[in-house]
Amino acid sequence: MTSDPLARRYRRLLLCYPRAYRRERGEELVATLLDAAPPTRTRPTARETANLIGHGLRARLGRPTSRTVVAWAALAAVVCGLFTASVATRIAWETSRPMPDRAEAAAILADVLPGHEVDGIHVPSGLFRIYGEPLRLTDVDLLLFGEGNEYALTATTASRNGTPPVPLDQTAATAQQRLRDGGWTVYPVTHNDMYGCAGPPCDPTTIPQDTRLLAKRGDTVLEVNLYPHQAADGTYLAVTLGRTTPAAVLPAASVAGLLGTIAGWFLFGWASRRTQAPHAARRAVDVLFGVTMSLWWGPIAITAPLALQHHLGEPHPQPHPLWEWLGQPMFSLFLVAGCATALLGLALAALPSRRFQPRPAPA
Amino acid sequence: MREPTYLILTALAAGPRYGYAIIQDVAGLSQGSTSLLPGTLYTALDRLAAEGLVELDREERVDGRLRRYYRLTPDGVAALATETARMRRFTTAAETRLRTLRPRTA
Repeated sequence: MTSDPLARRYRRLLLCYPRAYRRERGEELVATLLDAAPPTRTRPTARETANLIGHGLRARLGRPTSRTVVAWAALAAVVCGLFTASVATRIAWETSRPMPDRAEAAAILADVLPGHEVDGIHVPSGLFRIYGEPLRLTDVDLLLFGEGNEYALTATTASRNGTPPVPLDQTAATAQQRLRDGGWTVYPVTHNDMYGCAGPPCDPTTIPQDTRLLAKRGDTVLEVNLYPHQAADGTYLAVTLGRTTPAAVLPAASVAGLLGTIAGWFLFGWASRRTQAPHAARRAVDVLFGVTMSLWWGPIAITAPLALQHHLGEPHPQPHPLWEWLGQPMFSLFLVAGCATALLGLALAALPSRRFQPRPAPA
Repeated sequence: MREPTYLILTALAAGPRYGYAIIQDVAGLSQGSTSLLPGTLYTALDRLAAEGLVELDREERVDGRLRRYYRLTPDGVAALATETARMRRFTTAAETRLRTLRPRTA
């Protein structure tokens, strides 16, 4: 066996192939690679590297002749990684401080919005709630059947009804200045229509617009909404105070995402190798895999572009939690159905292959 | 049958070949348009061997490097002949139509 650097590098690339394949073919493959290499070459070319990695991974996944198996494995691995990262994100959110209490909220409001005595401050009892309540087992039907988007991050809220004591533009300008003076990061003010056109005739320029102001300091996010005065007892000021994404979320999601991706890859590889021809359930497992990927990736394909558009379209002191980008728990029915088809596929893959079945004894 | 498979079988129709010789022969047959990489070649050889179209002929060691020679099996010869006949039908049909097309376009 030659020990020149090029041969050593080729042999290193062959680690992408299964051990049994390397034992059978490795020396011959390296010899052919060396025969094909010009004398001046000291490193494998990018094309050779991609070729060996691609064919090696195909062999490892048990489908050496499949042109798409590596892409399917990557698809399965990435989606598993995204889901485990989402679970880790949710768990890591538990390291967040509780939402601002009344004293903290009152101090911030008095500093930022002087002269606006709020009617009351509501402090939620937890970080995430569905319709204001903690998530319970009895809420499974809400999650599964289209109301999962109600599961959201809470915030301490306050509002003021009546006639604004000063013009809203002045309130916004004062608040921005006081926030900056107080060391807050202030985001650009946005204005949105308070309602859509009810139908023709409709002049969009006549629709009143609200004013939204966002700011962040430390782990606290402040949102001030100012509404044009429309009724004597109407709300003209609404404030929410929330928490930013805890520092633990990024490392937890990264580690869990990596582990989930690795686990997804190995699980796919196991099922793929198990169902090499002539496994009886090969076709069924392939179909179940396709259904699973559709159920898992479908909501992501729909939601992620919309979430990105929303994220870029207006200021965000922090991104929405990862699971919302994946369309969860709004499309949790798809996730659960996908888990069912995945488990069924894995169960079928675990069935004994014809290759390993003993021949019937002669009569 | 994909073009690289056809060219590998055609290369082996001239007699037993080892890996690099097959790559060179395929490049020559295709006038350089098909450049097989070893990873692709051995995946194809494994598949063709599993289908019973090629088989190991002998092994040699040259300058310390292992060379395994492969040859066509009778089934491989039949598969190549069938594919060649199929392609000939297509090329004959295409040539016939091109001949009738040329006077008009000239």
